[in-house]
Amino acid sequence: MMSKLLATVKKEILLLIRDMVGLSILFLMPMALIFVMTLIQDSAFKTMNEKGIPIVFVNSDKDSLGILIEQGLRNNALCSFHDSIDGQPATAELALKAVGEGKFLVGIIIPKGATEAIRKNVTELVSETLNTEEPTVEKTAPLKDSVEISILIDPVAKKSFLLSVTSNLREFISEIKTKIMFQTFSDQIEEVIPGKSSTPKNAYNKSQIITYKEIYASKSEDKIVPNAVQHNVPAWTIFAMFFIAIPLSGSILKEKNEGSAFRLHTMPTPFLLLVNGKIIVYVMVCLIQFTLMLSVGQLFLPMLGLPALVLGNSLMGIFILTLATAFAATGYGVLVGTLAATEHQAAIMGSLSILLLSALGGIWVPSYVMPEMMRNISTWSPLNWSLEGFYKLFLRGGHITDILLDAFKLMVFFFATMAISYLYNRKKRTV
Amino acid sequence: MSNPAIIEIQNLTKTFKHATEPAVDGISFSIYRNEIFGLLGPNGAGKTTTISILCGLFPPSSGKVLIDGKNLHSELPSIKNIIGIVPQDIALYPTLTARENLEFYGSMYGLFGKDLKDKIDIWLEKLGLTDAAKRQVSTYSGGMKRRVNLIAGVLHNPKILFLDEPTVGVDVQSRNVILEHLKAINLTGTTIIYTSHHMEEAEHFCTRVSIIDNGQILTQGTPGELISNNAGSTNLENVFLNLTCRKLRD
Ligand SMILES: Nc1ncnc2c1ncn2[C@@H]1O[C@H](COP(=O)(O)OP(=O)(O)OP(=O)(O)O)[C@@H](O)[C@H]1O
Ligand SMILES: [Mg+2]
Repeated sequence: MMSKLLATVKKEILLLIRDMVGLSILFLMPMALIFVMTLIQDSAFKTMNEKGIPIVFVNSDKDSLGILIEQGLRNNALCSFHDSIDGQPATAELALKAVGEGKFLVGIIIPKGATEAIRKNVTELVSETLNTEEPTVEKTAPLKDSVEISILIDPVAKKSFLLSVTSNLREFISEIKTKIMFQTFSDQIEEVIPGKSSTPKNAYNKSQIITYKEIYASKSEDKIVPNAVQHNVPAWTIFAMFFIAIPLSGSILKEKNEGSAFRLHTMPTPFLLLVNGKIIVYVMVCLIQFTLMLSVGQLFLPMLGLPALVLGNSLMGIFILTLATAFAATGYGVLVGTLAATEHQAAIMGSLSILLLSALGGIWVPSYVMPEMMRNISTWSPLNWSLEGFYKLFLRGGHITDILLDAFKLMVFFFATMAISYLYNRKKRTV
Repeated sequence: MSNPAIIEIQNLTKTFKHATEPAVDGISFSIYRNEIFGLLGPNGAGKTTTISILCGLFPPSSGKVLIDGKNLHSELPSIKNIIGIVPQDIALYPTLTARENLEFYGSMYGLFGKDLKDKIDIWLEKLGLTDAAKRQVSTYSGGMKRRVNLIAGVLHNPKILFLDEPTVGVDVQSRNVILEHLKAINLTGTTIIYTSHHMEEAEHFCTRVSIIDNGQILTQGTPGELISNNAGSTNLENVFLNLTCRKLRD
């Protein structure tokens, strides 16, 4: 049995080596794709990542609130800060127009007297609290935060993406509001009870530390917005692995149509063994592809001035996920080869379905920028399971345990494709 | 014949899915040990279909087949070990060399190592392919492909050998060499079932023939018997034409 399997593997390797077109599909195309797509997308990701999200800031306040928010935005790597539009100092009207025209993704307008309004509120609150002589008769002025900060959003921009940006902004702004309220509050208290001056300030600093931590935590979640390399290398590697479906299904159909299958079916060798030989070879091809693509990401992309691929910290996780992806891709190839009637059909069926599955799976455009509905559909693509797994490993510092479910789903997909192929073959052979 | 039957076919029929007429229509006959049995008939007569069923490629619609005393339906795996097949269509990997093809097919029949290599060498030599053995089959002439196709079916010394038109498109020289070697393996104990359109070839090569058309057996016997039983016929081709009429087939 073993020697039969080895002979099958040898035959498959020979067939593959002689198939130059197939080989170039397997190895050159994905490499070219990684280079091209990374270079194209690098600039797009750069606007987000390196230069930051273009933000126009209109500060009509010119007091603590406005200044603090401005400082925060200027120091934030995710933002590219602007307070002038086409050389003119930004005003609310100009900002609205500019954001509408797509010159900026986000506009922030701090209204006039915002800081003063906060202070006033707090002062009232303090005097109300401390002036016990005047009971609650005049409490008509409600403690309302009259400070309306506007956040303008480019209507064309991807909502889901901006959602996280604006929610971060809101959080940040309310943070500063609180800070100013606190400051005013402690100033007021200091006036009334001079000795206690330091206590509230410390208390404020503590609260500040805690809330900043929260902001960072939510930001690291957002780091799923990867750079072009971190997205493209795993994405196109997965794509390439699934593209083996084309040479693989081609080889199955060639066998069918060149009459070899006729002979193979009459030989004392279980058909499963022949299929296994193919699977072994194509899984190996996938592993080679993967290694090759990783080295492109780590060695060659930096030569073009792109960031190097970061692998995360679980090599074992990478191996398991890659192996599972390889099996899923191979199973898919066997399925296409089984269902298609001719090589031509398999090539069209294979490439179209993989394009579709890859688009859905977030290979071309990451699924986190897709609209909600597409994101849900996306989770049905095996390419997405794999990509999500690699995101976990490469971007979120995940470990083996984090990708086990993804790997499991891919293996289930593999067994499903094999089962369907087997049943279909059995049905079909009863001509 | 006192010789025991190695293949017994009873009421074999095969109607393909979506076909209106059966391709094989209730045929019964026996093939005896060490015969060279010719299955002759015009295009579409049902020869390839019959052979495919006998090789276990697909099951018949009805009927029973015993091969070497074993039921084809229930004991197919062990039957596969003793048969060899040379299909009508070349069944080789075009991008592999002749030797690589033969190594692969030989391995699938359980041959390996030196035994396999020696057998391949001997057959390549016999059929004059030693020099070409390192070339990819796609670069071969039609006749050369046929010869490799033949070797792939006989490497493992099968007890029963099915040959579906093994000499189609082969020149006279090659044809003679092929038939000579087939006769030789027949003498070593291999029963041969052979199909052809070439009546003259069949007349000399076969010990017994069966003429079929539309999936039915028209006549059966040694070439000599058939010729003498058909008044006015001087050779097998006359017999064939008289029985199958001169109408064109699909
Ligand atoms: N897979 C198939 N599906 C449907 N019909 C088939 C199939 N294979 C053969 N047939 C039909 O069955 C009949 C017998 O075909 P078969 O190939 O057995 O003929 P043959 O005697 O081998 O002819 P030839 O000498 O041309 O090779 C033909 O009418 C053919 O069209
Ligand atoms: Mg035929």
